[in-house]
Amino acid sequence: MTTHDRAGFTVAMLGNPNTGKSTLFNGLAGVHQRVGNYPGVTVEKRVGQARFGRHRLTLIDLPGTYSLAPQSPDEMVAVDVLLGRQSDVAIPDVILCIVDAGNLERNLYLVSQALELERPVVVALNMMDLANQRGVQVDVPQLADRLQVPVIPLQAHRKIGLEALKQALLEAVSGQTPKESTPFPEAFRDEVMRLHQWLQDRFGQRVPRYLVKRLLLDTDGYVSRTKQWRGDGDLRRYLREARERLAAAGVQVPAIETTRRYQWVDGILNGIVTRPVQVGSTVTDHIDRLLTNRIVGTVVFLALMALVFQAIFTWTTPVNELIQRAEAGLGDWVTATLSPGMLRSLLVNGVIAGVGAVLAFLPQIATLFFFIAVLEDCGYMSRAAYLMDGLMARVGLSGKSFIPLVSSFACAVPGIMAARVIEDRRDRLVTILVAPLMSCSARLPVYILLISAFIPHRPLLGRWLGLQSATIIVLYGLGILVAIVVASLLKRTLLKGETPPFIMELPDYRVPLPRVVLARVLEQCRTFVRNAGTLILAVTVLVWAAAYFPHPNGLETRMRAEFSTEAAALDSQIKALEMLDRTGGTQSASKSDASGSRRLLDDLKGQQATLESTISNRIAGAYMEQSFLGRLGKLIAPIVRPLGWDWRIGCAVIASFPAREVVIGAMGVIYNLGDGQDEHSVSLSEHLRRETWPGTNRPVFTVPVALSVMVFFALCAQCAATLIMIRRETGKWRWALFTFVYMTALAYLGALMTYQIGTRILG
Amino acid sequence: MHKLIPLDALAQGRAAKIGRLEGCPKQVKRLEEMGMRCGSSIEVVRCGRPCIIRVGCNRLCFRRHEMVNVWVRELDSRLELAPQP
Repeated sequence: MTTHDRAGFTVAMLGNPNTGKSTLFNGLAGVHQRVGNYPGVTVEKRVGQARFGRHRLTLIDLPGTYSLAPQSPDEMVAVDVLLGRQSDVAIPDVILCIVDAGNLERNLYLVSQALELERPVVVALNMMDLANQRGVQVDVPQLADRLQVPVIPLQAHRKIGLEALKQALLEAVSGQTPKESTPFPEAFRDEVMRLHQWLQDRFGQRVPRYLVKRLLLDTDGYVSRTKQWRGDGDLRRYLREARERLAAAGVQVPAIETTRRYQWVDGILNGIVTRPVQVGSTVTDHIDRLLTNRIVGTVVFLALMALVFQAIFTWTTPVNELIQRAEAGLGDWVTATLSPGMLRSLLVNGVIAGVGAVLAFLPQIATLFFFIAVLEDCGYMSRAAYLMDGLMARVGLSGKSFIPLVSSFACAVPGIMAARVIEDRRDRLVTILVAPLMSCSARLPVYILLISAFIPHRPLLGRWLGLQSATIIVLYGLGILVAIVVASLLKRTLLKGETPPFIMELPDYRVPLPRVVLARVLEQCRTFVRNAGTLILAVTVLVWAAAYFPHPNGLETRMRAEFSTEAAALDSQIKALEMLDRTGGTQSASKSDASGSRRLLDDLKGQQATLESTISNRIAGAYMEQSFLGRLGKLIAPIVRPLGWDWRIGCAVIASFPAREVVIGAMGVIYNLGDGQDEHSVSLSEHLRRETWPGTNRPVFTVPVALSVMVFFALCAQCAATLIMIRRETGKWRWALFTFVYMTALAYLGALMTYQIGTRILG
Repeated sequence: MHKLIPLDALAQGRAAKIGRLEGCPKQVKRLEEMGMRCGSSIEVVRCGRPCIIRVGCNRLCFRRHEMVNVWVRELDSRLELAPQP
């Protein structure tokens, strides 16, 4: 077909990691890009648009890979996209292979696979400048001649060569579809042909020849485990026999693939690439001497982590306060504008609170991904993974899990999002599943409230460590300890399987590109709002509804009636004084009399205001008690009783499902203090201490109860956003449910043990 | 000609060539795809577990694994690493 037939075409971008593929994609697509997920897997789907003259290019950026020999569903996506088998993207008209000019041997291995896909291929020879600096020279025309595809030299980070590249892509589309080129011996080609025919006879459909090769080459590869062929005994038998025939002909599977492809690469490169005679130390080597040093490197890494942690923890506070203030302001405005009723309550406590809950995560996400993007783009991230690998290997994970887990101390949501850097599916899953056990910043208000109310301010280790700080440290430690145990258990049971050898490239250091960093931050924020935002809002509204309905009429009147005599007495006293003030004040009373009655009046008015707020708080509390949530709290009272909790604590814990920090506000309502409570409010902690079991003078909150609540919060999964993110990043609700169940079970058990042992020790 | 030794036994800073990759074929293939193949020049930049190695012009972080064994042949000098013209 000719270029005149169509105004747009699709380009799939393929390449090794660290070849500047993302930089090229950003350079070509600019802001015209969308990032999503391929269905059912956690492979990022990046689609961009670019223009070339009157032609529209749709760019599909595939994840960086060293080979197209899929071993997992994630790796299968790239093959499916390239072969046009992925239904949600168009079949590519041309494959763009991005290769690092300084590292052609390994990069051309992937190119040799791409050439077998029977699609037009264009090779972009990126990072020419860096290769030249290192003394590597490539004869580009010769290389193109031998590969029989266009080769375009490129400097993607400076946007040099992009026009020539687009021209080459356009010409490749309008040219002939190339004949398959293959480095394999004849015996293998025959076997491919035979299997191809066999599959067509058996299943009645044409299978792409590349997949036929994969079936033969990958012993226990993912292609044979796809839905199409999984569990097919005949195919398995056929493949075994075919491999035996090949072995008899001297073709060893799977070794034949690497041997032949590298032979082909050596043949292509022979005589057209010149390299420096002596490999000298580069800038990267010098930096690495420090940064990968066990002691210096670890110190630098920990300092960096402290900075990142500090940034997420404290730098985001002003922004979060701004969001909270805006939320409160908007809530007040709605309260003042609308008349009391369901709509107002829904808007203030459901919608505005829900939107606030979503926005509250954005500063953390933006900050964390700013650092991650900078550290990744400059090449440091893999050094961090190297340094932490020894430690993480003990739990059965790799160094790549460290950053997501540390980030989770600030907030598990960005932490879980950051787990994408882990290629190994099982490692990624384990990391995601234990990340919510790290004590996040939302747990801190709960700790602070209960610790300041119940843990005595007493020195433990001189003036260095007080009992209160020690309690916080223990709670953080508890999360870590449980995470270690759970991760080890998961790796040994549910997510058991052979771990591939851990091998990771340490790319050259370079200055991060601001546009790459910015694009990454914006993309993560957008992803979160779009994917988790609506669900978080929905959950908040749902919990609001549970706390609001059935909202019987007459409850308020009844509550007011209880206080009617008191209120009426105050009212008449005030009225009488006011009357006196107006009439008598001018006539005869002395000055001291007047000021005395005014003081009395102010005092009475104060009493009236207090009474009014007591009444409205009591009403709110009464509504909560009779709401579905309150009934649920009473229903689970026997279950939480062994933890030392009364129904109100149980109720507050359920109410905190959308977000942990909500528990404080919920306690405020349940304990008739109104909802404006925070962790520093004296009245709430005072009130908690005074609260007694109904009909007795036994306090509800004792030290063991406070500890039991804190341990519960340290381990529980009371965070809708986290669970929604787990669902998104694992592709399955099953894992979100699993996390909720195992964490809640552990939290219950932990709280139970704390209370039971605590009461025995402390009496 | 030196004899084959396991990668672990190669001292830091010494240059060698990969002589043989042994073990589970699937995993051996993964290493080969990343550039660790027979005949590749290899140098231990930092020993330990994991170690940092330079293979060809790639710098890799590699954790020794029970499923694959990397055997190397030590070279007398770094000059032998240079590609043949």
